[in-house]
Amino acid sequence: MGRPKALLPFNGEPLISHVVCQLKTVFHRIIVVAAPAQELPDLEVDLVRDEIEYQGPVGGIYFGLRAAEPEIAFVTSCDAPFLNLALISHLVSRMDGFDVVVPFWQERLQPLHAVYHPRVLPFLKEQLERHELRPIFLYEKVSTLKISEQEIRAIDPDGSSFINMNMPADYQAALQRWQDLHPPATFCSVELFGVARLLAKTSKLDLGIPARASLAHVIAALAEKLPVLAGKVIEPSTKSLIPGYACNVNGLEFVRDPSFEIKHGDSVFILSADAGG
Amino acid sequence: MYGFHGHLLHVDLTSAKFTWHNLDEARLQACLGGIGLGTSLLYEYAPARADPLGPENPLIFASAPLVGTSLTTTAKYAVVTKSPLTGFIADSLSSSYFALELKKSGVDALVITGQSPSWVYLAFDRGKVILREATHLLGKSARDTESCLRAESGNDDWRVAAIGMAGENGVRFATISNDGRHAGRGGVGAVMGAKRLKAIAIRGAVDTAVADPSGVAALALAMQHKSIGTLTAKYRQIGTVANLAVFNRLGSLPTRNFQRSTFAHAEALSGEHLTENNFSRRNGCAACTIRCERLFKSLAGAEQRLEYETLFALGPMCEIDEPGILLEAARLCDDYGMDSISTGATIAWAMECAEKGLLPQADLFGLRFGRAEAFLKIIPMIARRSGLGELLAEGSKRASGLIGKDAEDWAMHVKGLELPGYEPRSLKTMALGLAVSPRGACHNRSGAYEFDFSGEVDRLHGDAGRGSMVAASEDFAAVLDSLIVCKFLRKCFTDFYAEAAELLGRVTGWPCSSVELRQAGERINVQKKLFNIREGWQPEDDWLPPRLLHEKLADGVAQGVELPAAELREMIQSYYLARGWDDRGFVPDDKLRQLRIA
Repeated sequence: MGRPKALLPFNGEPLISHVVCQLKTVFHRIIVVAAPAQELPDLEVDLVRDEIEYQGPVGGIYFGLRAAEPEIAFVTSCDAPFLNLALISHLVSRMDGFDVVVPFWQERLQPLHAVYHPRVLPFLKEQLERHELRPIFLYEKVSTLKISEQEIRAIDPDGSSFINMNMPADYQAALQRWQDLHPPATFCSVELFGVARLLAKTSKLDLGIPARASLAHVIAALAEKLPVLAGKVIEPSTKSLIPGYACNVNGLEFVRDPSFEIKHGDSVFILSADAGG
Repeated sequence: MYGFHGHLLHVDLTSAKFTWHNLDEARLQACLGGIGLGTSLLYEYAPARADPLGPENPLIFASAPLVGTSLTTTAKYAVVTKSPLTGFIADSLSSSYFALELKKSGVDALVITGQSPSWVYLAFDRGKVILREATHLLGKSARDTESCLRAESGNDDWRVAAIGMAGENGVRFATISNDGRHAGRGGVGAVMGAKRLKAIAIRGAVDTAVADPSGVAALALAMQHKSIGTLTAKYRQIGTVANLAVFNRLGSLPTRNFQRSTFAHAEALSGEHLTENNFSRRNGCAACTIRCERLFKSLAGAEQRLEYETLFALGPMCEIDEPGILLEAARLCDDYGMDSISTGATIAWAMECAEKGLLPQADLFGLRFGRAEAFLKIIPMIARRSGLGELLAEGSKRASGLIGKDAEDWAMHVKGLELPGYEPRSLKTMALGLAVSPRGACHNRSGAYEFDFSGEVDRLHGDAGRGSMVAASEDFAAVLDSLIVCKFLRKCFTDFYAEAAELLGRVTGWPCSSVELRQAGERINVQKKLFNIREGWQPEDDWLPPRLLHEKLADGVAQGVELPAAELREMIQSYYLARGWDDRGFVPDDKLRQLRIA
């Protein structure tokens, strides 16, 4: 993908923030398992670092489940932006007595969209020690309920839950799909001045943003729409304005707080912070 | 002595006498150089209540400690005199090669008094001073004067500062020009013309020793890197003309003699549009890494330099919407040597008077907002003082006084200096800065607008917090203008006073703290104020034109916003309080003692 999946902009925020935000509507506790040096945005989660790198999904499931113990855990990857919360709730409800509940979708088990009981921890540990890095080896050893495609389709007809992204084209398709499924409730316009205008070769554009979006959302959406501004006007890693640039809302208020709420119909000006003439 | 020569040259044009004087280190430490040194010398050399265009008014050229060092943007010099526009201090800066040559001349300042019996130019060639006949140079632009002097002297390395026709004819907003740059505001060129001094040609040969050359080089290198980063991107990639589109959208673009704050044709004149359609070349002053200067293609296909202030004053102020016309007007101002802000603002005043039936002469001439033909014709007439130009050459304050009736209400000046392109009703901190500035309505001797653009204050509502901001901004500017460092480098400093004190210390060898440097800035501003008080300043001089206090903004995002007199008065009182002055704006003795001003 050329850059870490977790940080890819999605719906105005890093992809992992988008996934966490969705899961928070179902679960009271979210555990994120990350590689030792992996860069992450600010998240209100329990963060667990892999003790050993390159252990694949088995390592992630093991370290996450160990942190969740004694509770059961729904496990997903950070590149699944179309989670179906009803399906997740259904999988959890089917856990009664089983060690694992895993969907079987289009002839494949979906171990990174499954529910695990901490009873499986010793088996996962053994797998790690034997370098058996594919989760499906686990299912032969423990009590596993496989959810049929028919049962899944009743809740998630086209299986959007299992869409993930491995190639840039997957990412672009996912962005488009999200936009088609969620036409933004809020529009703002962005007016560009000075260097930003010359770079973008446009003076104004409209942006769809989520309801109650912040200035940070707008800047991130702008970066997504106009990649030419990256590194020159917008800092690529933080999706904030580079020093030397300023922001004004509706021509009245100069705004520096990234959490400032942008309302439907607002005009956001991007201009030089220096008015010397 | 490091960083300075420790001498000044006094030229008396009446007697053609040249006298060298020592400048002692304590005085230089107190006033730094540049504007600070010029102000100090003005107070000493100008007799009280001198006629600005009389022989006794000194015309002072001052160099500064950082000039000639490897620090970027420091090729500048100051011109200080009593302004023929305001009757108060005129302190202007210009840049580039002449500044470097002045620094190498062997003196830190030139003080020119008297009046020559005939037109002369001053040659200051490797320490030798000569006055030479200059009648043959009359009518020439500064650029042509330099070419002529180089050709006839055979000295290709002479650097020349000169006046154009406007200075020769005593236009009260005439400039002194060098290398395509101008000491622009306050009419310093008229003072030079009144002395019958057409030009100063310098070839220097004296290097200035620096206390810690490697230390200065290291600091300069670090600053050079910062100067080409995003903090200066606006200046490097578009230039100051970038302000126009932004100011228009913010309702801060003075238009139609301040009747409006947006211009319907702003897009066609915007820096972005000019860059995409008329751009010719990027240029810069000597020894500058920012290189903010932009040259655009004029009507005749020639290159013309353009900055925001010229763009605003010759464009929206007069409702001129054709880039080609505007560039031609800018060329005329450059060639004749006239401050483009005062030129545009005075013409805009005349246009409004014609519209209101107060100036039949202008009406007959066809001088109306947006009429390009009369607009282009009137500029040479001002420079020649011919016809209607005779009146407009006086500037808007004097001209409106001569007309009387309601004409003074539409003259947009403070203390006689026409307002720059920042609408005070939608930039309230700037409104205060403009009202109290010692040289009149000025956007350079403080950067008060910065607070309005910062998000720290409500730019549409003034309050008692603004006084300390404007005072701080003026002191900051005074230090920059006295060291001298270009203001476009200012955002590259993280802790300005600490970094500047270290630079000054490494150049001069003086132990200098950030606190002392800030105090020097305050001292310089108080010295300007003392000069003005001596020349007759009264509290009512710190005020804004009636239109700004009686008319609400008519358009734009700030439509309906006003600047009531009570709001301005509250801000002015807060400024005097922040300065430690009395409530009428006079400087008490204890403040003078605190600042060690004799």
